[in-house]
Amino acid sequence: MAEKITEKTQQKFMKKSEIITFGIGLFGVALLTGWMPDYTATYFADFAFKGKGFDSETMSNVISMVFLVAGIVGAVCELVIGYLVDNTRTKFGKVKPWVGFGVIPLSIISMLVFAAPNTNNQTVAIIWMFVIYSLYTAFCCAVESPANCFGSLCSPNPSERSSAISIASFLRSVGQSGGMVVILVVGLIMKAVMGQQQFKNAEGQGLDLVISTAVCALGIVLFVMIFFTNNKERVPFTQEKVSLKDAVKVVFAHKNLLMVSLTKLTGFGRGVYGTVSLYIAIYLLGSKDLKLGLLLPMGIGTAVGTLLVNIVLKKFSTKQTFILFSLYGASSLSILFLVSRGIGFNDGLIIPFLILNFFCGLQHGNTNVTPNIMIADCVDEIEYKTGKRQEGLAYAGYGLFSKIASAFTKALGPWLLYTWSGYMVSTDTNVAYAAQTDGTLNKLLMIYTIIPAVFVVLQAVPIFFYDMVGEKKEKITAALMERREKANKAEG
Amino acid sequence: MAKNQKEFNTKLYAVIAFFAVLAALLTISVTTFKSKYTAFHPEEVAKTYVDTIVQTGDGYNAYKNTIVSKSSKYGDYIRKYYMYPVIYRDADYSAEKGTDGLKGYNDEAFKGEKTLNDDGSLQGKLIETMYPFYERLITQNGWDDYDLVFKSYFEELVKVRKVIFGDDYISDEVMFTALEANVKTYGETLTGTEDKFDENTGIQTSFKSTGKYQTAYGEDYKLSVKVNSETALDVALYKENCNEALFETYGVSIDDISEVKEFEVQVFSNEALVAATDVLAVKIGMSWYVDNTQTTTDGLYGFYNN
Repeated sequence: MAEKITEKTQQKFMKKSEIITFGIGLFGVALLTGWMPDYTATYFADFAFKGKGFDSETMSNVISMVFLVAGIVGAVCELVIGYLVDNTRTKFGKVKPWVGFGVIPLSIISMLVFAAPNTNNQTVAIIWMFVIYSLYTAFCCAVESPANCFGSLCSPNPSERSSAISIASFLRSVGQSGGMVVILVVGLIMKAVMGQQQFKNAEGQGLDLVISTAVCALGIVLFVMIFFTNNKERVPFTQEKVSLKDAVKVVFAHKNLLMVSLTKLTGFGRGVYGTVSLYIAIYLLGSKDLKLGLLLPMGIGTAVGTLLVNIVLKKFSTKQTFILFSLYGASSLSILFLVSRGIGFNDGLIIPFLILNFFCGLQHGNTNVTPNIMIADCVDEIEYKTGKRQEGLAYAGYGLFSKIASAFTKALGPWLLYTWSGYMVSTDTNVAYAAQTDGTLNKLLMIYTIIPAVFVVLQAVPIFFYDMVGEKKEKITAALMERREKANKAEG
Repeated sequence: MAKNQKEFNTKLYAVIAFFAVLAALLTISVTTFKSKYTAFHPEEVAKTYVDTIVQTGDGYNAYKNTIVSKSSKYGDYIRKYYMYPVIYRDADYSAEKGTDGLKGYNDEAFKGEKTLNDDGSLQGKLIETMYPFYERLITQNGWDDYDLVFKSYFEELVKVRKVIFGDDYISDEVMFTALEANVKTYGETLTGTEDKFDENTGIQTSFKSTGKYQTAYGEDYKLSVKVNSETALDVALYKENCNEALFETYGVSIDDISEVKEFEVQVFSNEALVAATDVLAVKIGMSWYVDNTQTTTDGLYGFYNN
């Protein structure tokens, strides 16, 4: 009987090309969605209404409000889209139509974000920013959330599904930084075509951002269409409609799913290192140019970590993998702290710091991949228990917790830097960065290492209560397969 | 179900969607580019040139709209013709040969103790000491004769720096930092400054001051620039008056100029005309540039005294 179950659960369903094209699709989505928030903020602040004589303080406050409102719109849309996805029944499946058809309005609206109206009326300008960015956020949710939950539908085989999700997650993490390459290449081409000074003039009007957005927007359509034509949803949707009450229940009342989502909340401070990376480069390593040097090894480490997780998952369960990587992450950050204190803040620290930064980046591969696989497993468990398959809401719930955690991170980071560490701002116009006390420098290092390490450990705590692994997982997988076979036979 | 799938051709949809989005993105990009990129609109080029000078007395950056910046970056032009001759003054430097293999005063070996240990304070002192010289230079000459401005300023900078730092070190970075800081300060003497506080700590980083424009036109003054008239000029006649050799240093051949227009640009404060000047713009390829060799901007510097 056990052999029969294993045989069933090991059956392969996907074509090899589908695993790659799933990743290509997520790469395309991340290319645009990774590009938009930061560059929109830059465009709104510096270029959209340049030379219009608008009050800069008002505009700066408004831009913060635009992103706050967009955050709320995003959180609401996340749940609404999740609910709608779970009630979608089409011949393409429940997720693919959202991605394949939604990408067209998304790409056009993204482009329109960078086409500010030529108005001298500040009120019109403010309304336009609120409307266009909220629209972008809503359409972004309508494509990105379903795309992220495609992994749970690509194969009924959890092992095959895990491989697909980890490869796709790797390509998605590469895509998130793709915009940086796009703007670099666009800049080079514009320089070659226009001449250096004319490029500088065009750059001063934000036109390189306009062209780069067009490239990213076209990229998302191209890559998503490759995914759309080649990939199939291989887990049939259940016919029962999902009620609003079910929707809320799925997000908050299902233990395993809630534990996975809670990792975001308990680990929210992992990301505070980003707040101090510039100051680490300046004060501890000696040059602000090293900020990119800091981010690059960590970025490469993250990408390598994403692939590494796939290998570890073949030996260990998702639960063990998550805990293992969390412990590794906390250890690597602690080692970075100890080595930095040992060497001292001088030139000799640069190389060891950058190398260790790569090793610290490896843990991020885990947080990029493992929770997505766990959610797919939770969707199976929910289907097994309730007879309803609700990946839309399951991933939406996780997305909602991510957004709340991100808001906490954004509040904690500046507090740690400007209040807790005692950071001194330069008041001399000729000195960009004021000298800091040894106590402040140590605290900056702690914000980069020890504090994230504590949160890395905390993120693993809910996972101790997660039990969708081992025999239970195999039993549920086999039971679902059997159930689907019976349903197929009944359909004739 | 299989029959239904065939009814919708996914591949055809993908191709149509791609090209439809491509067309839409191209339309939006080209429209935005055309409307925002001033170099495609001669009246905008003329206006921007005058506006840059008028708003902050910044004749230095206004050159970015002129033929000086047609082929190379404005900063590179300044390096090549005005900074390197100072930095490599004891080497065999010429604009044609370049700096390859030359040792100039930007070499680390010329850095003295004070340069090596400066946290920005001495550089700040250098900028402050140079400012009266810069202000006098611009008040007396304006920016039309940039050759005079750059040569005089950098010659003085080398002398003043040696007094403050006690060494001969000089680099393009030092030169740009000092000059651009002085250009900014000059602008602030016209516009005035506001109290500014660091948004994270609340520490005051700059203090309120009253500018010359505020004294002349009121605290909430607003200067606006308008094009009053536009005249197309005879290209052949224009070319006869061009300094071909000078144009060549800009990387511009006069044969490439296809159109020439003259604009009368007026400056207003609260609807009252306060200054005006004629600006000559030339078309090279698809873009327009101000011909700085035949445009006079004297009237755009001290008009607030009238």
